[in-house]
Amino acid sequence: MGGAGKPHLTSHLFSFGLAILIVFANLVAAEQPPQDEAAPAPDSGQKEFKEAGVCVRCHIVSVLEWGISGHRQAATTCQSCHGRSEGHVANERNEIKPQRLPRGADIAGQLCLTCHQSGCPESKQLQTCQQCHHVHALVHPTQPRAADSDHTNDILQRWDGFKAHMARGRQHVENQQWTSAHAAFQSALKLIPDDRRARMQWNMCRRRIDPAMPGFRIVGDKVESATGLPRDVEVVGFDIKMGMVPPGEFDIGSNALADSQPVHTVRVEPFYLGRSEVTQAQWRAVMDTNPAGHQGESFPESKTLPVERVSWDDCMQFISRLNDRVAGGGFRLPTEAQWEYACRSGANQAFRPNDIGASSWYRANSLRNAEPESEFLELEAYAPRPVGTRRPNRWGFLDMQGNVGEWCSSMWRPYVYDRNDGRESNGQAGLRVVRGGSYADPSAGLDPALRHAERPNRRLRFNGLRLARGVPPPALPKSIDRSK
Amino acid sequence: MVLAGGLGGAGGVAAATQPPFREFRRGGMLYRRLGQTDLFVSTLSFGSHTNPAYRVAAERGTALNEDGQALRDRHIAKAFDRGVNMVDVYENAGQWQPMAQTVRGRRDKVLVSICRQFSQFAGRHIDAAAGLFGHVDLYRIALNPGPDIDEKTFEDWDAIRRAKRMGKVRAIGVSLHDERKMVSCLKELEGLDFIMFPYNFIHARADYSEFLPKAIEQGVGLIAIKPLAAGSIAKLDPMARPGSTPEDPRVRLYKRGNRPVHPAVVEKLTRSLNRIPGESLCQAALRFVYSKPFITSAMPGMFQEQELDDNYDAISRHLELSHRLSHTELNVLAAAQDLSRARGPGWLPSHYRWLDRCWRT
Repeated sequence: MGGAGKPHLTSHLFSFGLAILIVFANLVAAEQPPQDEAAPAPDSGQKEFKEAGVCVRCHIVSVLEWGISGHRQAATTCQSCHGRSEGHVANERNEIKPQRLPRGADIAGQLCLTCHQSGCPESKQLQTCQQCHHVHALVHPTQPRAADSDHTNDILQRWDGFKAHMARGRQHVENQQWTSAHAAFQSALKLIPDDRRARMQWNMCRRRIDPAMPGFRIVGDKVESATGLPRDVEVVGFDIKMGMVPPGEFDIGSNALADSQPVHTVRVEPFYLGRSEVTQAQWRAVMDTNPAGHQGESFPESKTLPVERVSWDDCMQFISRLNDRVAGGGFRLPTEAQWEYACRSGANQAFRPNDIGASSWYRANSLRNAEPESEFLELEAYAPRPVGTRRPNRWGFLDMQGNVGEWCSSMWRPYVYDRNDGRESNGQAGLRVVRGGSYADPSAGLDPALRHAERPNRRLRFNGLRLARGVPPPALPKSIDRSK
Repeated sequence: MVLAGGLGGAGGVAAATQPPFREFRRGGMLYRRLGQTDLFVSTLSFGSHTNPAYRVAAERGTALNEDGQALRDRHIAKAFDRGVNMVDVYENAGQWQPMAQTVRGRRDKVLVSICRQFSQFAGRHIDAAAGLFGHVDLYRIALNPGPDIDEKTFEDWDAIRRAKRMGKVRAIGVSLHDERKMVSCLKELEGLDFIMFPYNFIHARADYSEFLPKAIEQGVGLIAIKPLAAGSIAKLDPMARPGSTPEDPRVRLYKRGNRPVHPAVVEKLTRSLNRIPGESLCQAALRFVYSKPFITSAMPGMFQEQELDDNYDAISRHLELSHRLSHTELNVLAAAQDLSRARGPGWLPSHYRWLDRCWRT
């Protein structure tokens, strides 16, 4: 039996491993935050995962095995055999074992016979159940079911085809043959529609073929390689320059700040962000008014000063009007995760207050008059400065720290940051996050991780805004798009 | 009373479901949580007013001469020994530097309370204070009377909140005398941790009917300033006890009123006080404040060692006797109210007489 059974077992294990890989890919896709615009809904995943609840977090293989068993169909769950095992679930270091975990010959007596009291219906055996039944899958431990073979072969064939198309596509990308590469990735997506990498490559090629984006005029010829998006754009009809923020993950927060704990990893999808804060002139061009506190004869350069004394509600109105007037719309405030990611330029290093002098306007260099500092200064002694007059950060964004604080779309809620927990809902009442610190803050107030929040109707002379715009993914053909 | 040790070993689940403890006792001192912060303040705290008899003019406001400073340092050191853990520090009384020296070495045990009294930018003021004291435990701005909070106050408040987020300040608040503005502060000032407001048994007749319920509901910490009505309650005391004699003969704190009062009123108060052996009117007044669980701390100004002793004893009596005042004790307060009414606004110092109008409404 050993010689005949071995290839079967190997094949079975290989296909089983492949199935796990595919399921994993689905899981990873399901955990990604939704993109700004309508993206295809990820596959809902394996039903047995939902039914198994918390157990699947660690015992994926066991749950997959259980998923094909008669036990699952009979709603006999993990707890039915192993007990509720709350201590085991809560103890991440696995120092507490499940309530019932018999091994070997004890399994029949302690588990199987508690329900199947008269023994096996076929063999009438009262012991050694595991000779004929896999402990979780219940099927024969070494003989795959006939129906599994076709299913496995189908998966293997699709997988091989997928890999071939992806390799071909990547080759075309290297040769900058965007149309051919696009076709190759589309073929790959037809085989495995939910594959994230294939989708990204397909998007990138599509954008390379047709880089135009409604409402944007492309500036220069620099393109972000992973997404195919132009790095620099300008809002048509308004002198607002924006830059591409590449997708990626970073560690948000700081363990040195009470409201910014814990440090945790957040994924950010690609988006466009204003190269600088919205100026008084730009605000006036959209709203026909200028609420800023720093204007008039004392501030001859006021057109290039960042707009301030705008509330979060005012910003929503500004954005609404801009969206009405620019093709494609889609402008918004950045989320606080997007803001911090762009401020850090994707890097995770700690904030060094002594390094910001060249890149930021803050209390130490924002005195209106260059007179020696008095001990007794009122707030009016400080003022914002024209945007873009300090050194940009690594990704080319100006005044991310200092000058004026920047409203974010996010509602104030404690970390962990989860954009799907309602904090990004515009309709809810509550404090809104302000980031970046202002000209009146000390250097410590410019920490990229420092979270501040204010009432959405409050207009303060420290707070302004910076525009963001999501990047809608190109629409998939109907033959691939499973969300349709 | 819930003791600190009672919940010390509570697990995470239990801690999440049980309300945090509000007060505990250590030695002869009672400590209460300041609103919803993690600060516990002694129910007797040390006020910022300095003894006028020792004041000298300084660049900004006043300072104490050498004798006065030595005396104040001694009083504060004694207060710390008695368990007082919060001291209010006025910049314009010249107390920043002396206090920074006094608290050095015990900074982890002392809460420093700083007030912005002038119109300087609060963010910068905090940095100066934090530079001297390491950090500021309680920071507040003193607000002028008037119902509305102006835009500049909002901007200062924003700077204060930012300083708190940076860890430079632990609790932020305001001090003021106007009830309508207190209500505005509760409504408008985001993240308000505490309010310092005048509260004593005479003032309580105005009962803050709008402010207090809202403040209690919001969980804002309340610190009673003027618990002895700027020293005037001492002046109502018909029993000028020998122990209350000022250390400096130029200060006549316990002087008699300068206006004749009907002897029957004085006699009534005297008779009532005689029924509470060993208690002065000031102690009864402080015990009235301590008996209110919503008051975190009472902050009388203390110029003399005797006053510190008296005020400390009031806590002991509060802890030993009862949290609620007896009928006799309430009678004392009622008689003192009658006496203050009989004296008219003159029972308060001249610069505080406007308060009498508020307190009688």
